[in-house]
Amino acid sequence: MPHRPPLKAGERAFNLLLLLLSGGVFYEAYRISGFELPNSAGAFPLLLGAIMIVTMLSILLGQRHHSRPAAGGALGELRQFLATHFPLPVVLFSLLAVGYLLALPALGFIAATALFLLITQLCLRRGHWVSAVLVTVLITAVIYALFTLLFQVYLP
Amino acid sequence: MLKHTLTALALATGLTATSLAAADYPEHNIQGIIQWGAGGATDNVARSLTPHVEEALGTKIILNNRPGGTGVIGMNAVMHKRPDGYTVLYGAENPQLYPIMGLADFTYADMQPINVIAQGLVVIAAPADSPFDSFQDLLDYAHQHPDELRMGDTGAGGLPSTLLAMINAVDSLEVRSVTFGGDGPGITAMLGDHIDFMPLSLAAAKEQIKAGRLKGLAVFTREPVESLPNIPPITQALPDIAAYLPWGPFWAVAVRKDTPDAVVDTLSDAYAKGVANEQFQRFLSDNSAKSLNLRGEEAEQFLKRWQSVTAWALEKAGSAKVSPESVGIPKP
Amino acid sequence: MGDTLSFFLMSWLDPSLLMLTAAGTLAGIYVGAIPGLSVTMATSILISFTFSWDVNDALALIVGIYTGGVYGGSRTAILLNIPGAPSSVATAFDGYPLAQQGEAGRAIGLSTVMSVIGGLLGTLVLASVAPYLSDMALEFAPRDYFLIAALGLLLVGSLAAESLSRGIFAAALGAVIGLVGLDPVTADPRFTLGSMQLMGGIHYVVVMIGMFGVAEAFFQLHQLDATPVRQKVDKILPSLSLVLKFLPLSIRTSLIGVIVGALPGTGGDIASLFAYDHAKRTVKKPSKPFGEGAYEGLVAPETANNAAVGGAYVPMLTLGMPGDAVTAIIIGALTIHGLNPGPMLMIETPYIFWFTVGNLVLANLFLLLFGLTGIKLFAKVVELPKAILIPLILVLCVVGTYSLNGSMTEVYWMLGFGLLGYFMKVYRFQMGPVILGVILGPLMDTSYRQAMASVGNDSAAFVSGLFTHPLSLVLTLAVLFLLLGHSPLKRLLRREKAA
Repeated sequence: MPHRPPLKAGERAFNLLLLLLSGGVFYEAYRISGFELPNSAGAFPLLLGAIMIVTMLSILLGQRHHSRPAAGGALGELRQFLATHFPLPVVLFSLLAVGYLLALPALGFIAATALFLLITQLCLRRGHWVSAVLVTVLITAVIYALFTLLFQVYLP
Repeated sequence: MLKHTLTALALATGLTATSLAAADYPEHNIQGIIQWGAGGATDNVARSLTPHVEEALGTKIILNNRPGGTGVIGMNAVMHKRPDGYTVLYGAENPQLYPIMGLADFTYADMQPINVIAQGLVVIAAPADSPFDSFQDLLDYAHQHPDELRMGDTGAGGLPSTLLAMINAVDSLEVRSVTFGGDGPGITAMLGDHIDFMPLSLAAAKEQIKAGRLKGLAVFTREPVESLPNIPPITQALPDIAAYLPWGPFWAVAVRKDTPDAVVDTLSDAYAKGVANEQFQRFLSDNSAKSLNLRGEEAEQFLKRWQSVTAWALEKAGSAKVSPESVGIPKP
Repeated sequence: MGDTLSFFLMSWLDPSLLMLTAAGTLAGIYVGAIPGLSVTMATSILISFTFSWDVNDALALIVGIYTGGVYGGSRTAILLNIPGAPSSVATAFDGYPLAQQGEAGRAIGLSTVMSVIGGLLGTLVLASVAPYLSDMALEFAPRDYFLIAALGLLLVGSLAAESLSRGIFAAALGAVIGLVGLDPVTADPRFTLGSMQLMGGIHYVVVMIGMFGVAEAFFQLHQLDATPVRQKVDKILPSLSLVLKFLPLSIRTSLIGVIVGALPGTGGDIASLFAYDHAKRTVKKPSKPFGEGAYEGLVAPETANNAAVGGAYVPMLTLGMPGDAVTAIIIGALTIHGLNPGPMLMIETPYIFWFTVGNLVLANLFLLLFGLTGIKLFAKVVELPKAILIPLILVLCVVGTYSLNGSMTEVYWMLGFGLLGYFMKVYRFQMGPVILGVILGPLMDTSYRQAMASVGNDSAAFVSGLFTHPLSLVLTLAVLFLLLGHSPLKRLLRREKAA
């Protein structure tokens, strides 16, 4: 009997989500042109949807006998999931990243980028605020110069 | 840099009155969006025209390709920018057919045309070793063997399918249409004998025909073309098609509808000057395109006529997904 | 002969051409290294610059940018696991692990030397057999492109390290992402969910930046406090014996690169993946296991993508047909400058061919020079504290994505793919197959439908076509051999039973 590593927290849930996604893909593919001709716009997408469903089912079946990652039922698994895959820095960084994207069109590239860089650095390595300011100014200036002046890319 | 930030802030909070900006337009760089990909005909026209316009305008125009969805994506992007004249669209003929192909519900009529630059010529080309020597031969063969010849296509609303529809409006030509990503891939396939013929913009096919790699079966005009006098006009095989001629793809520049008049005037002046530039004119004639340089009322009329001729031909051939009547396109 | 030599040396002897080639190569390396800034974009921006220049100046600059740009993508792939361009995706597979083991300097040194070898071999093929190669490339019918795409998708078998079903799932997901947008044939919307933005499709660079760059940034957050790996920067240049050891492999992968590059429908991105797969199949004893920092896994894609540059020039110079997006722009540039790119180009302006060949060789020499300088500094990037590196990666990803099309929506998508990529990584899905699917899915879809349309939608005729044309037969046999011989299917069954 081969060794079976325990599932990671949330793995089964994630795979089930992907299975759901595969179903969605199949349904959307069906909506393109139904089960028409072998070379319709929807033929290849249907095939892809089917492949996704089949492979995901085979993954899920393969995991059928694996032990659950954590005791304490769904709630315990959720707690473990958060602890292993969503520790504080990841959550914080995700929020900051989204905030950055929202701020970009509103504040313009320079202000938003500088703010984002400054705040993330202060959050991620508490204390070093002098170097954080320096790095922020340097990176913002270099990127701005490189893109806008040299390559003439239109930044927000 | 501070000024820049402040401007951005002001824009964001909606403080900038467009009337204010119009007074000394253009204050900063303009963004030019090209609705087709890099290296194509529209891209080449845009990039060779723009330096002359920049000169006339006294500012930079930063060009950006936004291809996809037969040009819908690029046009849609321009229509969602502020109507301040700082975003201009470089487009081809396709938007005039969006409503009847069910691609989008807007056309150039929903924008403010700045300049209709030029119109291209179309040639129906075949591989050099093709058994057909004229379009008549091809038509005869197709009448006897319907749905057997392979025609290079560029997708719904593209040049070959539009042309096929026009032919089908006066005759019948049943073919297998094989779709490629553009003129280039189509020509490559034809060079390898993987398709039997393809309607192409003359600019794209001229060199191959001159070199004897491709054969020109017909030009889509009433008279032979100066640069390739040996190719017969399409009217030789299909006299009835004359009603739709002259016809060809075109290129135009447009901005959003509510752009202030003063800005539209400034832009129109600059583009008229740019198109008239000698060097650009030479570029057009090298590529067998007819310079139009239309602005204002004239441009609008040209766009309307082109749309009604083409849309109704498509409708007659049964290739329009939506009837031109229902989207308010008058009969020619 | 005398003419040939003088054309060949044109760019070597004229100081301004020499300078422009050098400047182009240097700029190309950085353009290529920054994700989102592509060679295609850089050249198309340059066209408007060079409009008033002499045409040779413009060509020299573009050759430099092209050569440098294709190579530059490997920099960020090795250092940050963000391929600067799609043709460097395969470079990240083994390059990044090497950097994590403190060998970033060595990896960059090796990839530079190999890129130059690939570039020179590609140019050699261009110079010696261009007309034959272009005739051969024309022979590829839609069904052959379909078979190439199929061959490419079978690479999943070697990219998916752990579980084949995961690999196939990821590739199919990638292909679905690649198909989003208006169908090029019927203009039916596919997977657009009614959104106007999605009608234009999802640019594969958006997926690549998200899944590689952002996902990696999230991953790094777990080791925020870990001290960065000290980089060994003493032995940067690969020894001659090492280069000689890899010579047979690099010749084979260069050939793959130049042929795939010469096909008008495929380019360096596909070539480098094929080359990686080839290395994985043929090298029995790599320096380290593939995917964990094998030098061979670095050699193969780097030679192939630079050899593809020479390949892409083949149809352009002989027929006036583009081999890829960059050569399409060069054709546009020639047109703007009043030359007539077409089959007559080599007869009407005979110098262009040997001038380009000489220029390519020159650019590769500059590549060697610029590629090998400053490596120590670059290797230090990996030693930056994570708290600086991670936000920097994110900003680069955002700017890079935005500069693709100037669209904020794509930036949101990029972040979304980053998050998806993070979870897929956490749950042991590989990113390589996703990108493979994104690149090859659309090629497979369109070429399949072109092939079907050519035979009047007759499935029987389509299948018999696969066996009756000599070229197709060879490709079909290759597909069947891979499918049954190394049998990923067999492995799939075995793996899942054992897992």
